[in-house]
Amino acid sequence: MKRQPAGLSIVIWCFFSLLALDGMTCRATGESREYQIKAAFLLNFAQFIQWPANAFATPDAPFVIGVLGDDPFRAALDQTVEGETVRSRKIVLRRGRTADELKDCQMIFLGKSEEAHVREILLRLGKSPVLTVSEIRGFARRGGIIDFYPEGGKVRFEINPGAAEERGLKINSQLLSLGRIVKTEKEEN
Amino acid sequence: MKWLNNLPLKRKLTLIILIACSGALFLACGVLAGYQMFDFRRTLVRDTTVLADVVGENSRAALAFDDEDSAEEILLALKAEPDVLAAALFRPDGTQLAKYFRPGAQSEIPAKPGEDGRRFADGRLQVFRPVQLNNKRVGMLFMDLDMHGMYDQLRLFAFLSVGVLLGSFLVALGLAAPLQRSVSRPILALAETARQIAEHRDYTARAAVEDRHEIGALTRAFNNMLTQIQEQNTALMESEERFRLMVNSVGDYAIFGMDKEGRVSTWNAGAEQTLGYKASEIIGNYGSTFHTEEDIAAGKLATGLATATTTGFFRDEGWRVRKGGSRIWATITLTSVRSEDGKLRGFVNVMRDITARRQAEVAVAYERDLLTTLLDNLPDSIYFKDRASRYVRLSKSKVQKGLAFCVNRHQTENPGVALPEHLTSLENFGRHLLGKSDDEFFAPEDARTVREEEETIVSTGNPILGKVERTTLLDGKNAWTMSTKMPWRDKEGHIIGTFGTSQDVTAIKETEHRLQSQLERLGLLDKITRAIGERQDLNSIFQVVIRRLEDQLPIDFGCICLYDTADNELTVAVVGTRNESLAQSIRIIERGKIEVDENGLARCLRGHLVYEPDLAGASLAFAQRLAGGGLRSVVFAPMQVESQVFGILIAGRRAAHSFSSGECEFLKQLSEHVALAAHQTRILTALQQAYDDLRQTQQAVMQQERLRALGQMASGIAHDINNAISPVALYVESMLDSEPNLSARARDYLGTIQHAIDDVAQTVARMREFYRQREPQLALTPVKLNHICRQVLELTRARWNDMAQQRGIVVKVETDLAQDPPTILGIESEIREALVNIVFNAVDAMPEGGTLTLKTGIAGDVSKARHVSVEVIDTGSGMDEDTRRRCLEPFFTTKGERGTGLGLAMVYGIVRRHNADIEIESAPGKGTTMRLVFPEAVVSSSPQTVTPVGPLATRLRILIVDDDPLLIKSLRDILEMDGHIVIAANGGQEGIEAFRNSLQRREVISVVITDLGMPYVDGRQVAAAIKANSPSTPVILLTGWGSRLIAENDIPPHVDRVLNKPPKLRQLREALAECVSQTPPTQGPT
Repeated sequence: MKRQPAGLSIVIWCFFSLLALDGMTCRATGESREYQIKAAFLLNFAQFIQWPANAFATPDAPFVIGVLGDDPFRAALDQTVEGETVRSRKIVLRRGRTADELKDCQMIFLGKSEEAHVREILLRLGKSPVLTVSEIRGFARRGGIIDFYPEGGKVRFEINPGAAEERGLKINSQLLSLGRIVKTEKEEN
Repeated sequence: MKWLNNLPLKRKLTLIILIACSGALFLACGVLAGYQMFDFRRTLVRDTTVLADVVGENSRAALAFDDEDSAEEILLALKAEPDVLAAALFRPDGTQLAKYFRPGAQSEIPAKPGEDGRRFADGRLQVFRPVQLNNKRVGMLFMDLDMHGMYDQLRLFAFLSVGVLLGSFLVALGLAAPLQRSVSRPILALAETARQIAEHRDYTARAAVEDRHEIGALTRAFNNMLTQIQEQNTALMESEERFRLMVNSVGDYAIFGMDKEGRVSTWNAGAEQTLGYKASEIIGNYGSTFHTEEDIAAGKLATGLATATTTGFFRDEGWRVRKGGSRIWATITLTSVRSEDGKLRGFVNVMRDITARRQAEVAVAYERDLLTTLLDNLPDSIYFKDRASRYVRLSKSKVQKGLAFCVNRHQTENPGVALPEHLTSLENFGRHLLGKSDDEFFAPEDARTVREEEETIVSTGNPILGKVERTTLLDGKNAWTMSTKMPWRDKEGHIIGTFGTSQDVTAIKETEHRLQSQLERLGLLDKITRAIGERQDLNSIFQVVIRRLEDQLPIDFGCICLYDTADNELTVAVVGTRNESLAQSIRIIERGKIEVDENGLARCLRGHLVYEPDLAGASLAFAQRLAGGGLRSVVFAPMQVESQVFGILIAGRRAAHSFSSGECEFLKQLSEHVALAAHQTRILTALQQAYDDLRQTQQAVMQQERLRALGQMASGIAHDINNAISPVALYVESMLDSEPNLSARARDYLGTIQHAIDDVAQTVARMREFYRQREPQLALTPVKLNHICRQVLELTRARWNDMAQQRGIVVKVETDLAQDPPTILGIESEIREALVNIVFNAVDAMPEGGTLTLKTGIAGDVSKARHVSVEVIDTGSGMDEDTRRRCLEPFFTTKGERGTGLGLAMVYGIVRRHNADIEIESAPGKGTTMRLVFPEAVVSSSPQTVTPVGPLATRLRILIVDDDPLLIKSLRDILEMDGHIVIAANGGQEGIEAFRNSLQRREVISVVITDLGMPYVDGRQVAAAIKANSPSTPVILLTGWGSRLIAENDIPPHVDRVLNKPPKLRQLREALAECVSQTPPTQGPT
């Protein structure tokens, strides 16, 4: 609704997007379902993790979620965060190809396309208060904070509280009790 | 709350306290309990919410990340809460994420989450609590909690509360009892006082004052009220007493109250006195009890009540009924009684018995009516005058008479002149007379007399009663008046005038005068009639009549002539002696004849009284003859009996028209009287004759009746005696007849016996003759009385000689027999019997002895038929007149039990049969002479000689039937002695059988001799049976009734001959001979 002034083009867009959504849903339900859950997980992570004050430029700055690389969520993430807030901040989605593009995001999801670039990206990001989440295997052990892994048909996740602590993020104990706790392992080059 | 009001004060107060306390406590407990409950629940809810929130908070992440294991782990932490029975976590889409069951607990988890909230059910609390994350629902928590713990706590609390309540109640009860007393005691005391006052009506009682506050004030007010009531009550009672005394003292008035329906409600003494009912009897009954039946029928009570209700009162006067039914006349005032609001309460009835007053009024009215009736209707004149003899009041009849008189006078004196005003009507004249005096009617002289009389009455007060006087009226006519004048006194007794009645008695006076002369004539008639009554022959009657008429009517000439119907002429019976010369001159002398001319006398002879008022112009011969003697008026009065004129009374006077109608009438009546007397004289003579005859006949009949009774009795006796003496007679006769060797003495004795038997038989036969009208004409034989006298003395010797001597008295017997007295015709035995009887009586009459004389003599005129008398003279006690007169009556006796009263009666019978007379001379103490006088026998015939009959030559077979064995034996002896064959049968039946037996044996019975009277089969039947068997066999009936049968010609059929008992041998022989001669000789054995 934010784009209401776009006028007729928006209506047309909505119409086509709805058609597209409907077609995707019909074509690939299992995949879509998985990403809906993962989108919801993303939103929920934001709820159980406390960002330091310097993470936001202004007190009323929005909470920005960036999707780096290929976007596996398609519309699901948009639908999930629609209308949601994180600690009374609006949520803004930002899609980018480079880490720099997404430097001032509070959370960055790294698509599978970025598996090769994990080291780089993490380095790029430095010690900034950004929650990194990915579906790349072993991402947490590789210095990320949270990664998804499937277990018994369900979406599970691993948390690397040390990485979080490095970036100044405080993870709620409930969240910790849910995920598998891992540590950063030295990469064998 | 009504029930509370009915409780006594003490309990009420206690109860109020208890209720108040308990209520408050209960409320407190209730509130506490409620609060406790609420608090429990709130706490539970809060705790549960908190728990749910904690659990929810803890499970947020698990829900957010859909982690079942974590969720279950979290739920497992609820183990620490024992109340939680089950719990579950649901995802937002409603699917169950995790669940928890408390081990051992029974619970269910709903398949889907319900609405947010909590629900209490079945002792459980179920809670649905959403789990939110960042204001977004991420799931739902369900918890099922057991609330039994809570309820246990509540129960404990309740138990405690009840305990507290009970304890409080007891404490309150304990405290309430003494506390309430402080309030209830004074009030109860007050109530008790009030109750006692109400009960005893003792308004002097006072309640005790206990405190100074409200109850004290109440008590004082109550006491004050009592004081007032007491004063009012006293006043009321006094007033009531006064009123009651007043009402009751009014005995004249019956005052009683009635309710709206008319029922008696109160009753005073006057009512009781007036109406007789006691209060207890009448209260409650309807007022109509006092009404008469007519009033009840007319609904008078209802009318009265209705009137009193509408107008306030009802007045009535009329009859009322007292107790017991008597009536009183009463005035009644019925007043309605209304309460202050105008509502009808009842009625008051005031009744007064004015019966006496009414009776007095009625009586006065009645008296007034009587007076008015008297004055208006009585034909007598009644007047009241003042002292000056002026009329004050006159009766109607007096005014009428006065008016008639005055009008008549006016019209006579002033013909053609109109009547003055006061004469035009009765009323006017009545008014006119007031204040006037008798001068209006009477001549001045009479009016003055009247005035003087009345002045005398006024001055002396003496009344004049029934004075009859002759007054002269103003028109000159005379009138007789009878007046009664009385002094008129006022109530004080002063004479204020006179009053009286006067009656015109002129008519009465005249009548009286006529009556007087009538009476005089009546007196004369009476005298004459009486004089006639004293005389019994016609001539002297006539003489008396004429003489009296001449002297006392008087008349100048009078005579009585008898009428001879056959010759149609009058014979002068008596001529008055007063004017003999006159009688001589007109040639009317006693035994002289007067021819009947066709006018005056003839009319008189047809039964009319003829009055010739003036003979001067008479043309008839006889009238002229009388006129010639100077007579001018003459009356011929017929004397008739049963409309048959048998004589004429002639009365004449010298003056013409000198006989008044009264005198004519008198003469007519006199002539009738004389005729009657003459007729009666004749009748009396005839009657006397008839009476004498009748008396003789009556005596004869009476005697005969007595004799008939005796005869019927005697007849039976005779039969028996005849039977009894039959053998004696037969044997004696047989002995005298067939015993030649008897000594002279024996023959003499037997002869006497035979005489005696004959006499007995004769006596018995005669006994029956008493009642016979016509005695059998017995053969009269010449009888020598001297001979009989000697026989009588012989027969009676035993009596006057032997028996008298036994008693020690001496009867001297003398005979004075005439020399050869004439023979008389008679029955010797009867005469002998009569004399024996007389001699016995003579001896009986001399119980002390005396002389008995038998005397015969010749009596009567020698020239005429001679009589022979026999006298028996004694010197005994004699008889008085009555005895002498009755001594011949049958059954009359002076000998008491010894005599039969038949002796002299028999003598009388005998004497009458002999045409003789009996004369008795006797006086008490002078002895008695009985004299029998017989007529001399006119024809002296030679005495019959009795030829002895010898026994029958023929030998007969004779059947004797009798029921008397003695008779059978004697008959058999005698008949067998005569040589006959005798068959005897005892009784009729046996006789008939014996006869039949003989017939069968062919032994012919020559003669049957049978008795008449036998039991079962009598002589008549025997005779009939024998004649039926053998008609030719003669039957001789031998009976004690024999002579009667012969005499009455009553010989029964089939009987050939009747013989008397006792049978005589001679007669028997004769009869047998006669029978045999009639019948052919029998073939009997010889």
